[in-house]
Amino acid sequence: MNQEMKYEAALAELQGIVHKMESNELDIDQLTEQLKRAQQLITLCKDKLTKTDEEIKKILAETK
Amino acid sequence: MVRDAIEMHLPDEYWVEAELSECREHSGHCYMELIEKDEHSNTPVARAAAKCWRQTWIMVKPNFERTTGTPLRAGMKVLLRVYAQYHEAYGFSWIVSDIDPTYTLGDMARRRQEIIRQLKEEGVFDMQRELKLPLFAQRIAVISAPNAAGYGDFCRQLEDNAYGFRFSITLFPAIMQGEQVEATIIAALNSIFATTATSPVASASIPSDLPPFDAVVIIRGGGATADLSGFDTLALAENVAQFPLPIITGIGHDRDESIIDMVSHTRVKTPTAAAAFLIDNLRRVSESIEQAETFILNYVNEHIRFQQQHITNLTTLIPTLAQRLLSDSHHRIELLQGRLPIAIERRLTAQQHLLEQTALKLQGFDPKLLLSRGYSITLFQGKAIRNPQLLKPGDEIETLMEKGTVTSIVR
Repeated sequence: MNQEMKYEAALAELQGIVHKMESNELDIDQLTEQLKRAQQLITLCKDKLTKTDEEIKKILAETK
Repeated sequence: MVRDAIEMHLPDEYWVEAELSECREHSGHCYMELIEKDEHSNTPVARAAAKCWRQTWIMVKPNFERTTGTPLRAGMKVLLRVYAQYHEAYGFSWIVSDIDPTYTLGDMARRRQEIIRQLKEEGVFDMQRELKLPLFAQRIAVISAPNAAGYGDFCRQLEDNAYGFRFSITLFPAIMQGEQVEATIIAALNSIFATTATSPVASASIPSDLPPFDAVVIIRGGGATADLSGFDTLALAENVAQFPLPIITGIGHDRDESIIDMVSHTRVKTPTAAAAFLIDNLRRVSESIEQAETFILNYVNEHIRFQQQHITNLTTLIPTLAQRLLSDSHHRIELLQGRLPIAIERRLTAQQHLLEQTALKLQGFDPKLLLSRGYSITLFQGKAIRNPQLLKPGDEIETLMEKGTVTSIVR
């Protein structure tokens, strides 16, 4: 299902950020930007696990 | 007369192989119809009635069920110990005194092998295991009997899981024992698949070719072993094997796997184990998220702290370096200052030396020194002359000596 792809892709992106940090590729500006992105992804995935679809829809609607 | 003839010619008990075309219990007795089929055409060529009276059946039945795991049922091949009986009112019948369950078991096993072989030949045996269970498998379609304790346990476990994971469970009811197993489970699978087109997620922009679930769970419940033979059919296995979602089977038994277990994506022993499996799947994802989070926070903190430290270091370093530079310069100036007078002194002394030496040397060249030694200088016309050829007779010359001068005339 496409929905699932979205979350699995988010997880993959998160691992990608970890990898970039591990190999010390990022300068201080990129670091801040990637940190923000990572926090978004983490919240997204954690919410998926612990909230029902309706709750998630509500949250997404609120943040728009 | 017929009765006597039969009793005379068939006095003993015999072991008979047959297929059961009918099997009914009534008043505690078991009434069967035995047939023999033609090997190639499958049409019956012989038929006979058989009965097992209650006092025998009471012992034979549990023994049979315990060994084969299933009650006696039409369609099975059996090995019976029988004796002949002819009753004027009821006609001819075999009376069953014993059943050999291992014969039936052997036949069941043979049939299972045959089904497995066919599934492999069709190429569907491994299909389920090529599917991947989604990382976020939370939408579960359950095939089970609605009142089964197993189903209740399964739901409760998912709802009360310690991690706070959320699942959404949809029941597609079926009958999980007896002869209805195959038909009702296949019907349930079809119902699940039918939700594909009507899934709310499917729309013009996001077409969906799968049902709106992440996995299917087939469970039955609560402990009791009996009657798994319904799960060993070819049709059921084909349906499960080719289903587009991963199927987890938790049929609950301790003997060999059913065929449905062999073709499903994952096999677990009980409904609770199925719930645990799904929870564990999410837990692994949750763990990897936490690990990533921890790593990133630590790394960023470290990095920032490192940079700050670096800047602090530089900040304290610069005045220190500057200070050192200044004091170095001062030091050098002082050194030079100290060396200056000495250098000057030495130079003067050296020059003085040179002068004295030159003076001495010059002294050495003083003509008076020569004169005092007895040499004389001859002057002609006021100039010193060294070549006598230049003089002619009558010239006047002066001769300088230490103590005076003499004037002479050349001869």
